[in-house]
Amino acid sequence: MSGQKESTGLMNLAESLASFGKTQGADEIEITVVEGMEFDVDVRYGKIENLIEAGSKYLAMRVIKEKRTAFATSSDLSMDTLQQLMKNAIRRTEYANLDEYTGLPNPSKSTFDQASLNIYDPEISELDPKKKIALAMETEKIALADRRITNSHGASFETKEIKTHLVNSFGFIGEYKETVCSLSVGVQAGETDEKVEDFWSSSQRYFKDLEPPEKIAQRAVERTVRQIRPRKIQTQNVSVIFEPPMTSWLLGFLFSCVSGMAVYQKLSFLADKLGEKIGNDNITVYDDGHMPGKLGTRPFDSEGVPTSQNTVIQKGMLKNFLCDTYAARKLKLQSTGNADGAGVGPNNFYLQAGEFSPEEIIKSTAKGLILTRTLGHGLNPVTGDISRGAFGLWVVKGEIAYPVSEITIAGNLGKILNQIEMVGNDLEFRSPISGPTIKIQQLTIAGE
Amino acid sequence: MNKIFMRHYPVSFEEHFQLSPDDLEQFLRIALSQGGDFSEIFLEYRMSNSIRMEEDIIKETSENIMLGIGIRVIFSDQTGYGYTNDPSPAKIKKAALTAASIAKGELIQPPVQLQYALPPHNFYPVFSPTLEDSLDRKISLVKETYHAASHFDENIKEVKITFIEQVRYITIVNSEGLSISDVQPLLKLICLCIAEKSGKREAGFSGGGGRVGLDFFRKNLTPGQIGGEAAEEALNLLEAVLPPAGEMPIVLAPGHSGVLIHEAVGHLLEADFNRKKTSVFWDKLGKRVGNEQIFIYDDPTIPFFRGSYNIDDEGTVPKKTPLIEGGKLVGFLQDRLSAKLMGMPLTGHGRRQDYTCIPVPRMSNTYIDKGEYDPENIIRSVSRGFYAHRYQGGQVEDSGKFTFSVSSGFLIEGGKLTAPVKQATLIGTNIDILRKIDKVGSDLIFGLQTGTCGKEGQAAPVTDGCPTLKITSMTVGGLR
Repeated sequence: MSGQKESTGLMNLAESLASFGKTQGADEIEITVVEGMEFDVDVRYGKIENLIEAGSKYLAMRVIKEKRTAFATSSDLSMDTLQQLMKNAIRRTEYANLDEYTGLPNPSKSTFDQASLNIYDPEISELDPKKKIALAMETEKIALADRRITNSHGASFETKEIKTHLVNSFGFIGEYKETVCSLSVGVQAGETDEKVEDFWSSSQRYFKDLEPPEKIAQRAVERTVRQIRPRKIQTQNVSVIFEPPMTSWLLGFLFSCVSGMAVYQKLSFLADKLGEKIGNDNITVYDDGHMPGKLGTRPFDSEGVPTSQNTVIQKGMLKNFLCDTYAARKLKLQSTGNADGAGVGPNNFYLQAGEFSPEEIIKSTAKGLILTRTLGHGLNPVTGDISRGAFGLWVVKGEIAYPVSEITIAGNLGKILNQIEMVGNDLEFRSPISGPTIKIQQLTIAGE
Repeated sequence: MNKIFMRHYPVSFEEHFQLSPDDLEQFLRIALSQGGDFSEIFLEYRMSNSIRMEEDIIKETSENIMLGIGIRVIFSDQTGYGYTNDPSPAKIKKAALTAASIAKGELIQPPVQLQYALPPHNFYPVFSPTLEDSLDRKISLVKETYHAASHFDENIKEVKITFIEQVRYITIVNSEGLSISDVQPLLKLICLCIAEKSGKREAGFSGGGGRVGLDFFRKNLTPGQIGGEAAEEALNLLEAVLPPAGEMPIVLAPGHSGVLIHEAVGHLLEADFNRKKTSVFWDKLGKRVGNEQIFIYDDPTIPFFRGSYNIDDEGTVPKKTPLIEGGKLVGFLQDRLSAKLMGMPLTGHGRRQDYTCIPVPRMSNTYIDKGEYDPENIIRSVSRGFYAHRYQGGQVEDSGKFTFSVSSGFLIEGGKLTAPVKQATLIGTNIDILRKIDKVGSDLIFGLQTGTCGKEGQAAPVTDGCPTLKITSMTVGGLR
């Protein structure tokens, strides 16, 4: 197959560039070549709006000489350009300061088995474009059939096929293939000045695992219409229930506070809390790059360190920071296989599911807010402070009473971790960072 | 002295891409082979460098090259798009055919004859493109900024400096015969620092740049100013109290508060959202939407600004575009597709992140124009309220609901700024806010030249500005 030949070609390119770098005087070299294929169709009101199909490649290099580092990237893969970039990078190392922590990961003997990870679906490259377009069309059509829907943001179907090649001067050679496909739709309900909107999507490694159009359309409609005619509420402190996408959002913020990079840079309020109890017993958080078929799964990280399961928080105890090789050396820890290009990124970072169904959690709430969406920034990892615009559903006596909007939620992640009263049993891995429904004892809601 | 960032790469697109005008005409034709109305080739070559300093040392430098071609076909209101970073004729042809597949029919357009045009203005006449400047000079700037912050006060514990420079060469050719190029420099020097005192930690941020040369950091905005400002913000926040919660009068500081105009108003005046009637403004052109003191413009032609350009990413020469005048909605920000479908003139706001992206209507430098009120008097008119000073950013949805995150501000008590306040969120709906702005100050200022706006996953450099503004009431999210 021509695809395979090309892939071998990219591995050869990486290897020959690495040897060239050695002859030019570099001590350590790491070369990454990524090749991607993208298909993306957006439809709106039954017509194709945008159709994109393309392939692209880029190369990234890290060069270390006398413990000084330089980087370069290029989407121009001609050997002349790459060799010039390599020479420049080697010369530029003189401008960086000596840094004893810099360097490639120590060579490891561990092997990896791409096949068992189930992150590549061969069906995706075979899919007929007509089928992909039809899926997006069908999803939108079902959503628009609901009379409460007054406008469409359109539906999209997207596939990506990515091949990653990694070579380093300590003898690491590795490559893997992965696929992702996703189907989504966004809609509006209500009239011009009182519109509400939301969307729903499903992303999977395997085409066969995607949620069907009916389910995606129904969720998008449901999520939209439940916001119609929102009320304002008084400023108060109440229990707040996070729906799973909101728990994922909160976990994304937690990730930025347990990233070894933020920790050694003292940009995290958790920087000096390793080994301490930072939350209650309900909280157990893992990062696991080795779960078969999940969106954050990969055999090795961007430095070639094999991924594995790492316990980040166990029953409230902060067990580990997530590190690339550099952060690990700074913190006297081990790399956890979380290197992600220039920094530290999540693999599958998730909060372990609890025992309660979402219904039980709502029933247990005398008065509170179900947080359904947030808007804006307002996260400060240095202090753990949170302040966001929010949308939600007001709960009275265990039942959903009415939607609320134009509110903000405010709190502090350090406090929230100690106030997670209930954890849901509805954990699904819809994105690399995921969590189930949770209930927080008390947050400040600002309204009128 | 090593002069590393020499321009050793050829700069004209023919040389990067080895393509003649004849080749381009042929690809435009292939793109129309299935009956499209319009075809376009976007060629991009981008060089960028960065320097990062933290923990008292220069950690690393990097050099980045981006080369690619995007081909677009428009067929009625439908767009086909293909791109490649392999400039071989076979790959470009494949991208052209991918784009062509959106149309159904056969070639009907006449042959293309490209007419080379020059942008009529140069809004960034930078004498010495920074890529050619020596690395030593750039590293000095980085170190000076670092030390300005770290020596500012003994409570400054951590400093991070990032310097990023970029030169973007773009060429747009299309089936109407347009052939036009631009060279767009962009610089940014930013400082983040952490202050720590009795167990409390806070972060401060500052920076600047634009489509300027390195001299900018000697003549206009010095490393000392950038480092000092970031340190000062972090130190102020150490003393800051938790924000109040609830509805109250708000005064927006000039400059940084431009993010409000960008989020609450600018996005929803982008033509695509109005063509699709998803924006709350779609049926309000020519109508009164706010207080009569309000005049809002988007102007890509402000010299040296980060959001400026000589041509947009569709090759259109941009204009200062009035959006709201005297409280009346007078215009939208247009790209080619929306302008055609809405039957409105082009404004030059079709932008794209890079060659992998379809252009969409975007803001450039957006601002609310100055009014009549003395800023001091505006503050004095508030007995109890909130003064929003610096921001982390904002977000809006088409229905008009928006938030913006205030990183630092002050309480207003008895007409005076009193205690510093940290981490608050303001939330509202845009039509409501436009009506509630009841005093526009006489002190128009632009915010930091470091902003990047995101839309549909595409990033674009922007700036925004505003004078001191008073909003009669708005919800503040806080902890008290």
